Amino acid sequence: MAMLEINNLDKSFGKRKAVDDLSFSVREGEVFGLLGPNGAGKSTTLSLISGLQRPNKGRVTVGGINVGEDSLRAKALIGVVPQEPAIYPQLSARANLRFWGELNGLSKKELASAVERALTIVGLTDRADERCSKLSGGMKRRLNIAAGLIHSPKLLIMDEPTVGVDPQSRHHILETVKELKAQGTTIIYTSHYVEEVEQLCDRVAIMDHGKLLSIGTLPELLGQAGEYQELIITLRTTPESILPVIQALPWVQNAVVTNDVLAILTANAELALPQVFQTIVENELELAEIKINKPSLESLFLKLTGRTLRD
Amino acid sequence: MKKSLSIARVGFRQMFTDPMYMVFTLGMPLVMTWAMSFLPKVEGVYEMASLGVLVMFVALNLITSASAVIEEKQNGTWQRILCSPTSYSAVMGGYFIKLFVVAWVQALILLLSGKFLFGAPWNSGYAELAVVLTVYIFSMTGLGLFLASILKTQSQVQAVATGVVMVGTMLGDVFFPMENPSGIIKLIATISPQAWAAHALRDIMTTGAGLVPLIVPMLWMIGTGAVLLTAGVWRIKLDR
Repeated sequence: MAMLEINNLDKSFGKRKAVDDLSFSVREGEVFGLLGPNGAGKSTTLSLISGLQRPNKGRVTVGGINVGEDSLRAKALIGVVPQEPAIYPQLSARANLRFWGELNGLSKKELASAVERALTIVGLTDRADERCSKLSGGMKRRLNIAAGLIHSPKLLIMDEPTVGVDPQSRHHILETVKELKAQGTTIIYTSHYVEEVEQLCDRVAIMDHGKLLSIGTLPELLGQAGEYQELIITLRTTPESILPVIQALPWVQNAVVTNDVLAILTANAELALPQVFQTIVENELELAEIKINKPSLESLFLKLTGRTLRD
Repeated sequence: MKKSLSIARVGFRQMFTDPMYMVFTLGMPLVMTWAMSFLPKVEGVYEMASLGVLVMFVALNLITSASAVIEEKQNGTWQRILCSPTSYSAVMGGYFIKLFVVAWVQALILLLSGKFLFGAPWNSGYAELAVVLTVYIFSMTGLGLFLASILKTQSQVQAVATGVVMVGTMLGDVFFPMENPSGIIKLIATISPQAWAAHALRDIMTTGAGLVPLIVPMLWMIGTGAVLLTAGVWRIKLDR
């Protein structure tokens, strides 16, 4: 059964189309990854699902309830974990969770156990009564997650929950997602980090410019990537002029530069690499690092959009 | 209603754990009320000044407190509230209760301290005073929410609040009696809810005026409050 169905969704801000005729569904109990670079339309899609914004066209159904027609009932099924911690810094972690529980309709009786449960899941029981302003950035993010799952939502929306966190908190957050998945929670997970999506998600949708480019399980998507490999070449400096030269080389399907990192999509790394090297030497560029990635979501994304996910 | 009360309660906790807020809303007006107690208590001079302090600080408090909506938008809690199964009217109801209660608590503390600590000669007219204050707080809550809906940052709110309140009180015949004001000053005194409130409160405390002669100022304050509140609530809803 589908926990979430999105049909022909459109959302524009002025002349800019943020979401363009988007349709997909998420099955009950699955972790669904939404991949795309900044400006791909992921956050707007999440806002439309959570009822924060209204679409110009199309329909969102959560647990069989049309969000546009009965938003309060639909919202009761949804938990939201925004990208930046949306908590009250002056209040304690426990007071924050009590508040978010009350707003999500928990009774006094349910509230105490729900708060303890959420604190335990995110590992903040021993810091529960401290002011949030005193918690570390990673702890705030964990509390942010706890606030999203305080009412045990059927559908949990997590918008890049690991951005900017320390490795320990990141590990904890990923473990939390796995635990929630094991408990049967349906999760929509957006991230820039392909490895997180590959590790957690049952199915993945790739978006860019508001459109759905591809959707499927990881093996299905990697199948679409075919034999394409990704050469990641880090240079000390990367002049703009090098890009068209690289793009014109035989065996190079596409290439982009982001912060002195040259990402090259190729069907044959062995044949492409010597030519790329030669170009680098001819242009007197200094090489810092080189990596060959096997077919991945990153290389599929490069193939589909001509952009890297971190663009 | 339960959810509105939760929103209001969180608002109180945020405010009362902020020492700067307490200094600004209670410390400063208390010092000014105390200073005004040295004025001669004849011909309404004292009433005019001490009630002027009350009118001015209640307005400043309401406008700056209403800007909490802007702060909530910036830190994402506003969006999170709207993602919860809480109706928009319950959300705004919570903010309204919060503003109304904090303004009343502030006004009550200033009035009681004036009477019991600083020797204000007030012995009657409490019911009328309560009605006029309620109406005034309503109109200023409307102004506060309207400003919160059109401004983008806290510093903008502080600048506009200072401007609106200072102009409304200083040129609105709140602290100093103005003989035959004309032009822009007359206009400000005519439209400023602070001016209407200050005059009504002073009439109650000095001449024992009842509510009937104060119908016009009260209707004006209710009208401006209702228009600004409606516009503010509508604009805040649009700007998600």
